[in-house]
Parts: sequence; structure tokens; C-alpha cells
Amino acid sequence: MEFGQTITISALGSQFLVGLSRAMILFIVSSGMSFVLGVLRVPNVAHGSLYMIGAFSAFSISTLFGGGSTGFWLALILAPFVVALVSLIAERTLFCHLYEREHLMLLLFTFALMLILGDLVKMVWGADYRSIMAPELLRGSVSVFDSPFPRYNLFLLIVGPLVGIGLWFFSNKTKIGKIARAAAVDREMVGAIGINVSWVFAFAFVLGCFLAGLGGALVSPMVSITIGMDHDIIIEAFLIVTIGGLGNMWGALVGSLIFGLTQSFGVLFWPQFAIVFPYIAVVIVLTWRPKGLLKSVW
Amino acid sequence: MLQVEEMYKSFDDFKAVNGANLTVEKGELVAVIGPNGAGKTTLFNMITGQLKPDRGNVIFNDEDISKLPPYEICRKGIARSFQIANIFPRLTVFRNVQVSVLSQQGKSRNLFHPAQELAVEETKSILESVGLSDKAGNTAGSLAHGDQRKLEIAIALGNDPELLILDEPTAGMSPEETAATMELIKQLANSRGLTILFCEHDMEVVFNFAQSIMVMHLGLTIMQGEPDEVRNSSRVQECYLGGA
Amino acid sequence: MFRDIFNLKSVGPLAVVFIILLFLPPIIPRFYIYILAVIFVTALVAMSLNMVVGHGGLFQFHHGAFYGVGAYTVALMLTKTSLPTWVGFVAGPIIAALVGLLIGAFCVRLTKLYFGMLQISLGSLIWAIAFRWYSLTGGDDGIHGITMPSIISSSKGAYYFTLIVLAICLIVMYMIFKSPFGATLQAIRDNPERCEAIGINVRRHQLIAIVIATFFAGIAGVLFVVVEGSVFPDLLFWVLSLEIFIMCLLGGWFTFAGPILGAAIMISLRTFVGIHTEYWTLILGIILILLIFFLPEGVWGYILEKFGRQAREVVEGGSD
Repeated sequence: MEFGQTITISALGSQFLVGLSRAMILFIVSSGMSFVLGVLRVPNVAHGSLYMIGAFSAFSISTLFGGGSTGFWLALILAPFVVALVSLIAERTLFCHLYEREHLMLLLFTFALMLILGDLVKMVWGADYRSIMAPELLRGSVSVFDSPFPRYNLFLLIVGPLVGIGLWFFSNKTKIGKIARAAAVDREMVGAIGINVSWVFAFAFVLGCFLAGLGGALVSPMVSITIGMDHDIIIEAFLIVTIGGLGNMWGALVGSLIFGLTQSFGVLFWPQFAIVFPYIAVVIVLTWRPKGLLKSVW
Repeated sequence: MLQVEEMYKSFDDFKAVNGANLTVEKGELVAVIGPNGAGKTTLFNMITGQLKPDRGNVIFNDEDISKLPPYEICRKGIARSFQIANIFPRLTVFRNVQVSVLSQQGKSRNLFHPAQELAVEETKSILESVGLSDKAGNTAGSLAHGDQRKLEIAIALGNDPELLILDEPTAGMSPEETAATMELIKQLANSRGLTILFCEHDMEVVFNFAQSIMVMHLGLTIMQGEPDEVRNSSRVQECYLGGA
Repeated sequence: MFRDIFNLKSVGPLAVVFIILLFLPPIIPRFYIYILAVIFVTALVAMSLNMVVGHGGLFQFHHGAFYGVGAYTVALMLTKTSLPTWVGFVAGPIIAALVGLLIGAFCVRLTKLYFGMLQISLGSLIWAIAFRWYSLTGGDDGIHGITMPSIISSSKGAYYFTLIVLAICLIVMYMIFKSPFGATLQAIRDNPERCEAIGINVRRHQLIAIVIATFFAGIAGVLFVVVEGSVFPDLLFWVLSLEIFIMCLLGGWFTFAGPILGAAIMISLRTFVGIHTEYWTLILGIILILLIFFLPEGVWGYILEKFGRQAREVVEGGSD
């Protein structure tokens, strides 16, 4: 077991930024999960699968349009909508019929969805690794803290907060966002005042999945796009949402920061076990605050 | 036997219980009355430990039980039934009561002895006393409403309590059922030497059966006394019987 | 005392099945002997899960963690130490139960969904450590070629060993199911609030149930190593836990023996579907959806409903 190299300010600063940009992806994905959890009170186990479909769709769309910069930007814009469509189909044909059933059934349905989507991805795209190139603009790196810092990560540091602000604005300032939040707290009341709760749920589910797809599309130039992606991200999203506070968007942000930063700093201190650090952080947080750091929505 | 002193409980800004007092003597049948929202169920929940009071004490047999969890309060000799039938729907009627008796006998954690041999006599006798013997093998969830209320009480009896607290025992019952239930309760009280505390909306029931009545309004105890005292009290009439 | 719950009605059919299974190995191909052994192991872990889920109402979402801990414990003891085999066999369930106690103590403070998510978190921590600690656990590769004493190292030997251990465990589980502890646990499943009101310390009761269940999961983990001769980190990964959950659902989680049927169906399907297509996961997902929509009581639960009380007595051993 070797411990990290000499820890300089430069290395710390650099890892801080890496962790931060990773946290942005985690935030986008887990805020989607948190939103669904808040409104439907069910964690969407298939959330990771939709993230994976986002990445694969981004690959296909980008390839379709020549694989260059145009391809990438188009993929980034269109892939989330592809994912949203997939989720809408799943929701309207099957999921919505379960809303009256107990929550455990909804959870098991999302698990079934994960299994099905996982194999569908294998069918459509095969088991090979895929990859996408970042557009010209975002390739290469800049020098930050005397270390090279990928331009694409800088891009993420801008996109992350933008998505966060967008989501916040949406939940708090638009009519439908407010209705969704109300349904999270008291669905009977919302139904009683004449709003079709089933459509609110559909909307929340699709929005959450859209964010998962967006996360997948955003991460696609950074990683190998492969069929194990769903399993990896879903556990992380689960844990983030659990430590953040169920259904709480700011909680998702806090959780993502904790997760991303502990992992990136972990790389400095103990590279072999870097992935264990976020889990330990989760255990510590949950011992101290079993219900999550921030207030759960319900 | 039971003394409730100066109880207060608020939920955020809503003062559910705002100065309640109650005295229950051994062997009595005591009723708590008051309009909807007067705080009766909240008060009961604090006595049996489901809620913790913000301020105030509950003294049972000279012991302060205010801070104990529900299962310990039960072990001290207080059992309760709930307003909405709070039974074990997937278990049989027999099992519903048996679990309660086993708990009272301290055998809940017994791992290797077949349950069907234990606590059989006690369970059967309780079922007989509430009139559910013939339904012993039925699934509790499939019982009619009236029978579920009986089962409610039977489960509470399984604890062989000294004090039995009943939350609106005749809620939703027809006049015949109400009379039958109250007779049953009175009979049980006599045969088992129970002290009974209950809350009710049905005034006839209250005045016919209770020996002491406590009146609550907006979370506050207005008075406690014998039925005639209460009936004649102008304060009570003002806020409850006659007025608003 | 035993006579009462192990009467002919309740035990009869299962005893017949047991005897048939005893005589199978000489007459069926080796591959089937292996598959049956796998079914026995999986049935045990599914039964142990059902103890807390179907009978206890707990959202035990990461039961596989304890199964994996049992398997890894025995694997490590057999490959890294020179202690006798039986020590490893005994250590497996004990360590699994200790981990169960630790994680359980954290989780019972919470209810329902929180309980499940916390357990997934804690179980995943164990997975992450096993996955990365290459020098100790072999990381992603796992540990292979674990040698067993010669009596049980053959296909038939492993078969008989697992069958007998399974039978003993089932007998013990059945006794617990029919005991006051089991009855109280089911009452807690139905209505924990009411249980508190009748004098039951719900949390402690649940914790004890978890420790017992994880002990059996640990035994299943040991049996896994006996049958397969290896361990992999997948045993500790949450996807397996959800699969075991599905087995309980498939079989019927409110019954006693349902999970055995669920495990048998799942393993058989997986094996034979796997021969024809690589998309077993898709089929599993579809099965799960069909279950959710049409058979929420599970296969065995459905059969019991249809054939009424008579069938129920066979499996659940007598009415009250």
C-alpha cells in the first residue's frame, strides 16, 4: 500500500477542482433522483440506467453528425430528450398504474426497469467500450495551481451551477414546479384541489430522468461509455441522496460535494482506496444525522 | 391511581393541549369529553407514551411515567385501545390477542417453544369475554367493523392491565352496538377489576356509565367532577353542551 | 413438543421431497447435481432474507452483504490461515452475524425507506473495501481454487453437505417461525405502533431478528464456497441483494417456504435461459414486472390462496 506523493498546495488545489467538477456531474444526476424521490417518494433504481442511456445516446448522436464539435453539442442537447422520451414511455405504459400500490412495489418496478434497460442497451449498442471526443473548444487543459486542469472540467464547473439554478428557479418560480413540490408534501391535498396527480408524477419522473440523461451526456467525453455505468452511478446517487436529505435539492448538492471531494482528496492520500473515502464519509454523516444533513422534503 | 398534572403540548404553533389535569381513582370509570379538537386524543397519546409532553407529568401508582417509551408504560399496567382499529390484519384473530398475552407474560422473545401451546387459556378466555370465540380462526383484516372494535379491546385486555384506556370506543357505532359495547366494557371492568378511562362524543354513553367526567376545551381542562356536577355546571354548558 | 408442529400434515410433503433429493445424485447428470446444490444455497439465503422482510416487514435491501461476508470469511480463513476447515465454517456465520448486529444497530433506528437506504450505504462500504483490497481479497478477481475436505469437495459431496445443512437450518427456522418470537415479529410487521402499545420493545426485537437472519445468511455464504470453491465481490454487490429480494417476492413472502420455491425457479430459469440467450437480465426484469402486476403474493402465495386453508396447513404447519 503506498500513500500519495508529497502533498503540495498545488496538488491540493488541483484535486479540489477535480473533485468539484466530478461533484457537478454527481449533482446533476442525483438532483434528478432527489426530485423524483421527493415527489413520488420512491428512489428510482433505474436512474443509473437512464444516465447510461444518456451517455450512449450522446455517442450515437455525435457519431451521426460527424463526431466533431457540432456532433457533440447536438448530442448534449438531444440526448437528454431521448432519455426523457424513454422514461415517459415506461411511465405512461406501466409505472403510472402502480401509483396506488404500496411504495415497495414502485421501488421493485424501478428495479425491473433497470434490469430491462440494462439489457436493452446491450442489445442496441453491444458490450464494447465507446467513446466520444470533447469539442475543439473544450479540449486540452489550462494551468491552474501550477497543474494542468482539463478545460472540459472547467466547462462542468459552469454547467453544474447553471443546472442547479435552473432547477431551483423551476421548482420555486414556475407553476408546475410549485405544484410538484406541493404534491411531494401532500399528494391528497393536491388531488383534492382538482389537479391530476398522475400527470404531476409523470412530469416529475420525466424531469428527473431528463437530468440523469443530461448527466450521462455531459460525462461522455470524460469516461469510457460502457455497460457497467448504470451500476456504478446508481449507488453513488443513492448515497448522495441519503446523506443529503431525501428529496432535498440542496441536499443533493451538499452530498455531491462531499462525495466528489472526499474521493478526489482520497486519491492524494491513499490512491488504492480512494473510492472508499466517500463511503466512509457517508457512514460518518449517517451516524451523526441518520436522516440526512438537510431536511427531507416529507 | 393516575394523576395527570399540567400537561402542555404544541405542534409548531398549534397548542393541542394547553393545561390539562386529570385524576383517576382505582376502580373508577372516568370519561374525558370535549368538542372535536379539544385535545383528548393528544392527551391520551401523552399518557401512553406515543407523544412526549412539552411540560407536565403523568403519575401512575406514585411513579412518574412521563418520560417512558410506550412499551414500558404498558408493562407498568396501562393498556389502551385506539380510535381507529389498530389490529394486526394479516394474523388470525386468535393470534392478535395471543401476541398481546405473550408480551404480558414476557414470552415475546421465546425462540424455541411452539407458540400455539402458550397462553392458550388466557387468549381463549379473553376472546370469549368479548364474544369473538367463534371467529378465532379468521384473519383479522377480514372482520366486520364492529368485530374489529371488539378485537381492539381484546388486544388491550391481553396485557392484563390495571388501567384500560379507550379512545372513543363507540365511534361510528349504531345505538344498539354502542349500548352492547358499553355493557361489555362495564362487565369487563367488574369481572377483571379494571379501572377505565375513556373519551367519547356520545353524551348518553358518558352520562350513563361514567362515575367521573373531565371536560376539555381547546386543550384546557375546564373541570372534573361527578356527572351531575358536570351537567349542572354553567361553565361546561357555556362552552360545550349548550353553546358553541 | 416437537410433535405438535412437526406433524405429518406439515412435514409430510417436504419430507417426501427431501427423500427424493437424497436419492437423486446417482441417477442424474453431474451438471444437475451442481445446479441443485446451487439452488439449496440460494434457497437458504432467500429464506434468511425472508425472515426479516416477509415475516418482519423490514426493508432489508442489502442482505447480500452478510451472505458475502460469510463467504469471504471462510474463503480467507481457508486460504490465508492454516486453521482447520471447520473453524472457517463456524467463523463464517458468526462474523456475518456480528456484521449484521453492527449494521442492524445503525439501521433499526430508522424505519422503512431510510432503513433500506442506510443498509445499502453500509453494505456498499463493505463491498468497496473488498473490491479494492486486492492483496487480501483478490479485488475484482475474487479468490479461487479454495480447497475443501475431500468428503465434500466432490460434486456429490457438496450436494449432500448443502442439502443436509439446508434441512437443518430449515427445521430451526421453522421452529423460530412458529415460536412466540416469530409470532411477535409478524405482529411487528403488521403494526409496529400497536406492538409498542402492547409492551413490545420493537427495535430490540427487530435487531434480534436481523442477527438471526444474518447468521443464516452467513451459513449460506459458507455453503456457497463449498459448492463453488471461490468468492467474488459480486456477492457483496447490492444487485445480488435485490435479486434475492425478488426470489422472496417470486415465491411468496408471507408464506414460510415460498422463498425456496422462488430460489428454485430463479436459478432454474437463469441456468436454462442462459443457455439460449445472453439476455437473462431482461427476462428477469420482465418476470419481475409480471409479478408486480399479476402475482404480488408470489407463486406459492397464489397457490395457497387458490387451494385455501388445506394447502396453508401443509406449509405453515397447522392453524392456530
